[in-house]
Formats: sequence, structure tokens, C-alpha cells
Amino acid sequence: MAIEYKKSLAVFDDFVGVEDAEALLEWFQKNPKGKVNFTTCTHIHASNLQVLMAVKPPVVAWSKDEDLQLWLEPLLR
Amino acid sequence: MNSLLEQFLSEARDFLQGIGEKLMQLESDPTSTPLMAELFRFVHTLKGNSGLFDFPEMTCVLHASEDLMDAVRNGRVNYSQTLADQLLEAMDFVGSLMDEIEITGKTGSNHFATSTELTKALRALLNAHNAVYVPVAIETYTEDGLAVKAISWSELPELDLPETVAMGLYRCSIDGETVFWLEYTPEPECFFKGEDPFFLARQIPDTAWRHVILNNTSSTLAEMDVFSSQLVFQLLTIAPAVELDDLFRYVPDQIHRVKIPALAFVKPNGRKDSQAIDDDFINNVLALLDKDEIETLIRTINTMLELSSPELWSSSVLRWALQLVDVEPENKSAQRTLLNTLRAQTPPDWSSSIMEMNEPRDMVTVMPSVSVNLSELSDTLLRDFNVVINTQREILSLGGTWSAGRLKSIAATLLGCYRAVQKLHEVESIESALQLALTKNSPEPLLDWLNNSSASTQELVFTAEEAPIIVSNLATQNEVKFGRRTEDAVITGAVAASKMLKVDQDKIDRLMNLIGEMVVAKNALPYLANRAETVFGVRDLAREIKAQYAVINRVAEEMQDTIMQVRMMPVSFIFQRFPRMVRDISRKLGKEVELVLEGEATEADKNIIEALSDPLIHIVRNSLDHGLEMPDVRLAVGKSVTGKLLIRASQESDRVLIEIIDDGKGIDPEIIKHKAYEKGLIDETTLERISDQDAVNLVFAAGFSTADVISDLSGRGVGMDVVRSAVEKVNGTVGIESEVGKGTRLYLSLPLSMAVTNVMIIQSNQQIFGVPMDIVVETVRVPHSHIQRIKQKQTTVLRGRIVPLLSLNDLLASNVEQLPNEDNEFATLILRVHGEHVGILVDEFRETVDIILKPMTGILGGLAGYSGAALLGDGSVLMVLNPRELI
Repeated sequence: MAIEYKKSLAVFDDFVGVEDAEALLEWFQKNPKGKVNFTTCTHIHASNLQVLMAVKPPVVAWSKDEDLQLWLEPLLR
Repeated sequence: MNSLLEQFLSEARDFLQGIGEKLMQLESDPTSTPLMAELFRFVHTLKGNSGLFDFPEMTCVLHASEDLMDAVRNGRVNYSQTLADQLLEAMDFVGSLMDEIEITGKTGSNHFATSTELTKALRALLNAHNAVYVPVAIETYTEDGLAVKAISWSELPELDLPETVAMGLYRCSIDGETVFWLEYTPEPECFFKGEDPFFLARQIPDTAWRHVILNNTSSTLAEMDVFSSQLVFQLLTIAPAVELDDLFRYVPDQIHRVKIPALAFVKPNGRKDSQAIDDDFINNVLALLDKDEIETLIRTINTMLELSSPELWSSSVLRWALQLVDVEPENKSAQRTLLNTLRAQTPPDWSSSIMEMNEPRDMVTVMPSVSVNLSELSDTLLRDFNVVINTQREILSLGGTWSAGRLKSIAATLLGCYRAVQKLHEVESIESALQLALTKNSPEPLLDWLNNSSASTQELVFTAEEAPIIVSNLATQNEVKFGRRTEDAVITGAVAASKMLKVDQDKIDRLMNLIGEMVVAKNALPYLANRAETVFGVRDLAREIKAQYAVINRVAEEMQDTIMQVRMMPVSFIFQRFPRMVRDISRKLGKEVELVLEGEATEADKNIIEALSDPLIHIVRNSLDHGLEMPDVRLAVGKSVTGKLLIRASQESDRVLIEIIDDGKGIDPEIIKHKAYEKGLIDETTLERISDQDAVNLVFAAGFSTADVISDLSGRGVGMDVVRSAVEKVNGTVGIESEVGKGTRLYLSLPLSMAVTNVMIIQSNQQIFGVPMDIVVETVRVPHSHIQRIKQKQTTVLRGRIVPLLSLNDLLASNVEQLPNEDNEFATLILRVHGEHVGILVDEFRETVDIILKPMTGILGGLAGYSGAALLGDGSVLMVLNPRELI
């Protein structure tokens, strides 16, 4: 599983594929105040990106991958 | 090789076969529309499937073939022999690529030339018949690069660039780099195609600025469809155009790429405050600019910057002014324009200066210009055109908020459409409608324009009944676009709910072996019952075992039957290649041949069918080459010009009979006789006495087929011994009948299945042996007194015929006399070997059994006298004799 769901935190790890998008959306529906952590994430599939953009959750930590951060930061801040 | 590729290969072969067949059928019925449609569908599906893999040569050729077939289907190109030849050649090429893929898993790079050549040839056919090559916009990719909609930079949405980034890009731009604005709108279904637009967007090199827009149509999270892409990616990049085009080569229609002029980046932003700068200062700097006192100018501006707050809009202008002065000192007009904006505090309008600089609009690709009148346009294009226009109309009638971009994109689509059909005079009116729409911020003006213009361009509008159909089609297409294969299936209805299962033959063989062992294991039960009764004396148990045996026996037999049926294949499997072969060979030889296939549904075991394939090809080739005469010769002897070749399969009890009949010149026994004599195959006395039929049969003799014989032999004879041995290997027989001048009939008789062999068990010298039932004519008991000796050979007279008698013990070289029964009679098996009856003396007859004959391997494999071995129910091994070799 590329996304690890903790109480109110979704930790993205490595490559998060298209198959995780639906679960992510459901998680946000159950945890509207859920936060995200991208520290070890290198890429998220576009389907996850649009979920994140729709939700705009608070980001606990940005990705160590600079390029990914460049993309995500303006979108989720 | 992955399973997807494997499946593609197996399906593709079916398609190639299908294409070949349809082309053949078209040859006799060139106007058949269903055939044409079917053919197109084959090519179309094959092309689509090939696109899943990275075989550009294959896809390219198939694509060209598809276009050609589409043209044929729509009547734009007439079907012709050359066209069929070209298509067949293309399919052969695809077939050869597939062979290569099967072996190496990829295609070599050396096919590029062939592929290009074939593609060109196909395209040439398309164009030769139709001067207008109309690229069909829907579902085809553009060969000539990216068809990017032309948008000028001024139509771009406002970019919210940080000043530092903008300044950097401006400098890059002035330094000669090209800055591209790239908007990538993935299609909603792209996730189903395995695409990751975000990943693709991240691959764009040298991105200076990036943004993603979410066009979320649903209000709540619950309504959101995560699997439908609603993203739009926007970027500024200084990557070269080639690199971008390469990156987006699969989705060229989903990106807009616009070159941005340097000055477009000069866009001050910040808090506006009318009090910030007074006119005196502005006049002062403008004067300094005019006087070309740059250093003073810079100093003045810097002082002003220090005095005012950096967030102010005016400060931003001043910072930009410094940049301009630094980077483009000669461009006074630009600097002046920028500084002048300080007065009104409105963004600088660069359009005039950019036009002055003669920067043309960046149209990446110009649509191939099609110089035709609308009346000459093909139906397809017209339909496509209308579909696009109707869609735009639908979009315009949708409610919701209307952003400028949405209106612009519709206008751009309309412009593109009208440009493509050369209706250039409409362009202006579209543009004015767009302006009106933009000011009103409503879609009405565009919609009005569409409705009016459609009325004025009558020829483009479908009749009232047809139009709604198209619209509804479009709606359904949108829903299921990602299921293209299903769509294809629905169209034909043939593939729907396929009940066929493709299984590896190894698995079937394994299953058959297991069932075979099951049958053998089951046979052990009667022995067990016997032992229970005789050795242990429990009669009841024996009875129960027997009852159980009956049940298991029934199931096992049914299993065996079923697996046999699974292995059965129709002979059409080998017949289907004949039309093409006959066509090719007859064309090459300049003969006219009509091929008739009969009984294609006749079934036989897969191994038999496969063993039959090579001999049959050989025979057919011989028939064409040596049997049938040239058209003029046929005319001279009073036959019809077209030779007839009949291949017929039929079932005769448990055998398959295949006949190959031609009405050619037949085989002259005289020539055969003399050739055989010359070769030393027969001696002089045989030459004198041999009957015509026997002479004809000589063509099967080994060594008869040599090169010099073929060249002047009027009949066939090429490798016929090979044919015979191949047929005999699967327990088949082959025969030939011929009449000079009338034709030749060749027949093959083969067992339906060779998995189960029925053998008779005999006993000799205290051992048991099996003899295949199919060669046993009868079993008789010959009294000792009836055996006569002719020289050293024993014989007897049976029903008025002299039958030679051989002792099995002698044949097996065990020096023991055969045992007669109490009445001094010898058990004799009458066998048919090589067309003659032979009696074999044995000690005793036993029962007949069905066994699974396993050929012997290893050292034992060299024992020609045995055809194999089988396990009996009690676990003992039964050796099965091969009388053909033994005698």
C-alpha cells in the first residue's frame, strides 16, 4: 500500500498509483480534517492529484523530491 | 513474453487469416458490402491492438491498410487485383513481423524501410483513385506532426507568474531561448488507458512555471469521479519544440503549445496606489529616456524604488523598467510604453509592439491544406464535420458559468473546422461572434452564429432525420470510449459473449495422459475383485468392487470421449490456407484454377490434422504444377480454360478420407514405368507385366522423386514417398488413381484419433503381445493338415485364396514351435499388410482392449518391430507389434 492511513494522517510513500485514488477519496470523506504527509513520496498518479486538489488538505510535510514539491506546493497551499 | 503480447499474437494470426480469406472472397464478389465491412473491421481491430505495443512498423503499415480499406468501404477507391495484392503483401509483412516478435519478443530495426515502402504503396493506391486525401480527424493520429490549435499568445489566460520567474523567462527569451506555453488537457478517460498525465507533465524538461487546474464539476466529494480526469496542466518551459512533440507524441491532440514573445512576460503586478508616483517623476524619466541618459535614468529609478514600498504596482513597473533598460537597451518604445503605464496604472499593452517586431503567430503545424469544394468532400468528412459542429452546439447550449477560455476554445474549434473545409470567409464572422460573446460573457452570440451559418451552409447539414442519430451516437460514444474492444464486439455481434477458450495444447495433452492413466488404473479394479473372491474369499466385497467399477468405468469412458472431442479439430484448419496458396501458385504459373473445398467441417484429432498439413500442401502443389495444364493447352484438348481442383474431406466410420481431385492431364503409366525402370526400381520382367494402376502407384516408391524426373515427368511424383511416410506415421494410407487426359484422384485415409488404439491381445511363447485391430482382417483356426509348404514357406488356402503363413515365434526369432490347440488347429491372425493378406500363427487369441499406446523411447525406440507399449489393468506391460515392419 503506497498510502498509509493513520488516525487523521495519510502518509504517502514512494509511488502512489491510480488504484489508491478511490480509497483516498473515501478516506477524506470519512476524515474531512485529514492531513497529508509527502515526505517519502516520489510521485502520485494524476487521479490522486485531483483528489488532493479537490480536498486541499493541510500538508504536514512536503516531499523530499524537489520537483514533486514544486508541483504540489502551489496547488495545495 | 507477457501474456498480453501472447494473446495479441494469437489473435492477430486469426485476424491475418481472416483478412486473407475475406480478400479471397472479395475477389469473386468485389462489390459485396458486408465482406468489405468485415474486412475493414479486421484490419481496424488489428491496427488498434497493435497500437498497444511498441511496434511502430506494424502499426504504420496497418494504419495505411486501414485507411485504404476505409476508402474502399466507402466507395472512394475501387477494389482491384493490385489492391488485393498490395494488401496481401502488407499482411505478409505483418505476419513476418509477428514471427519475429514470437521468437525475439520485439521487432528488429531493419524493417523500417520495408514498412515505409509498403505504407507508401498503400497510400499511393489511396491517392491514385482519389486525388483528395482527406485526413479523417476522428480516431486517426496525424502523421505529419502535431495538429495543435493555433492560439496566439494574447489569447492566453492571465499568467500569475512571480516577478522573479517572469524576469528570468524574459531574459531567457531575449537571449534566444524559445519559451513555450503548454496547456495539456488529458482526455477524461485517459486513466483507463493506463496513462498518468501528471507523470507525463512532470517529464517536461526545463519547466519554469507549472500549474494544474481542477475542472471539478461535482460539488461534493462524494460525487467526484476519481477515475475521470478533470485536470488541466499548464506550464511554461524553455524545452525545444522537438522534445515536447516527442514527449506528447501519443496525445498530440491534447496539448496546446504556444510560443511566447519576450515582452509578454513584462507584466508588472502589485498593489495599486494612485498616489505613489507623480507625473513629474514620470515626465522626468521619459525625458531622460529620450535623451538617452541611461545612467541617470537608472539612478533616478533606483532612488524612487528605495523610497516606495516594494509591493506597490508602480515599484514593479520600475523594476521591470530596469530590466528592460538592462536587457534591451535599444528597445526604447517598449521602455516608453512601460513607463507610461505608471500614469494610468493599467497593464502595458504589448500587442502593438509585438506586432511591430513582426513576430508571427506561432502556428506549430499548418493543417494540410485541402483545396476542394465542399460539394466534393467525402461523406465521411462531411459527417465528421457535422459531428464536431453539433458537439459545439451542444456545449454552447449547456448551462453553467462561462469563462472566457471556454468560449475561446469553442471558437477555436469552429475556426479549425471551417478552415479545414476551406470556408475561410466564415473565419471573420466567428471571430466577431466570439468578441461579442466575450463582452457579454455568454454563449448566445456564438450559438446564434452557429444556427445562422448552418442555415446558410445547407450542404453541410444533414437531413433532419439523420442529425439526431449522430448526436445520440456521440453521446453513447462518450460513455464507453474507453471500452473500444467492447464497442467492436457490439458492432459485429459475433464476438459477443465468446464461449471459446484458448488453451495451451500441453495442458490438453497432460489432461489426456492423466485420463489415460485413470483408464488404466480403473482396469485394475476387476483384478482386485477377482483377488478378493479367489484369494481372500470375500464374495460380497468382490461384488461391491465390481459395482463400483461399473460406475468408474462409465465416468472414465465419458472423460475419455470428451477429451477426444476437445482435441478434435475441423480440417478447415489446414484447408483454409489453400485458397491463398492456390491463388499464388496459379498466378505464378499463369494457370487458371478454380479451387473447390468440400467437407471443411469434418473433424479429426489435432495431431492427425497437423500431420496432414505438409503432405496435403505437397500434393496440392504437385497438382497445380504438374497436373493442371496451361489455359491454351486445355483449350486445345477441349477442356474449359479454368482447371478445377477439388479438395474434399469426409468421414468414413472411424477414418477421415481426404481426396484431392484435379481435372488435369493425369499420370501416364508408360512414362512412370520407364522412369522407374531407368532408376532401377523395377526389373525388366516387372516392366513387362506391371498393371497400369501398379505403375501409377510407383510414384510413391522411395527414390522415385529426383530432380530430372520432375522436369520431364508429365505427372506428379515430387516427394510422394515423403507424403506416404508422413501419412503412414499416423496410421494412414494413401492411394492414387489416374486417367490420362482426364485427371488424377489422390486419397488419404486417416484414423480419426490416434490417442486410443484398439489392439487384440495374442499369446505366443508364453508371452502376450498386442496387434493393432485396424490391420486384423479376421482370426481363424487353421488345422495342421491344411497347411501346405511351398518351398520353405508355409501357406494355406483360405476362401479360395492362397495366404502365406508366418509363425510369430519365427518373426521374433525365438526358436520355438507354435502350439496348436487340442484339435491340432493353429490360431491364425489374418492381417492386411501393404495391401496383401498375411496369416500369422500364434499360440492363442485373447481379448481386445483399448489402450493408450506410448511410443518407445531411447534404446527401445530403435526396435522397429514394435510400435509401442501400453500398460494393462493388472499393471503388466503389453508390447504392441508393428506387423508392417515385422514382416
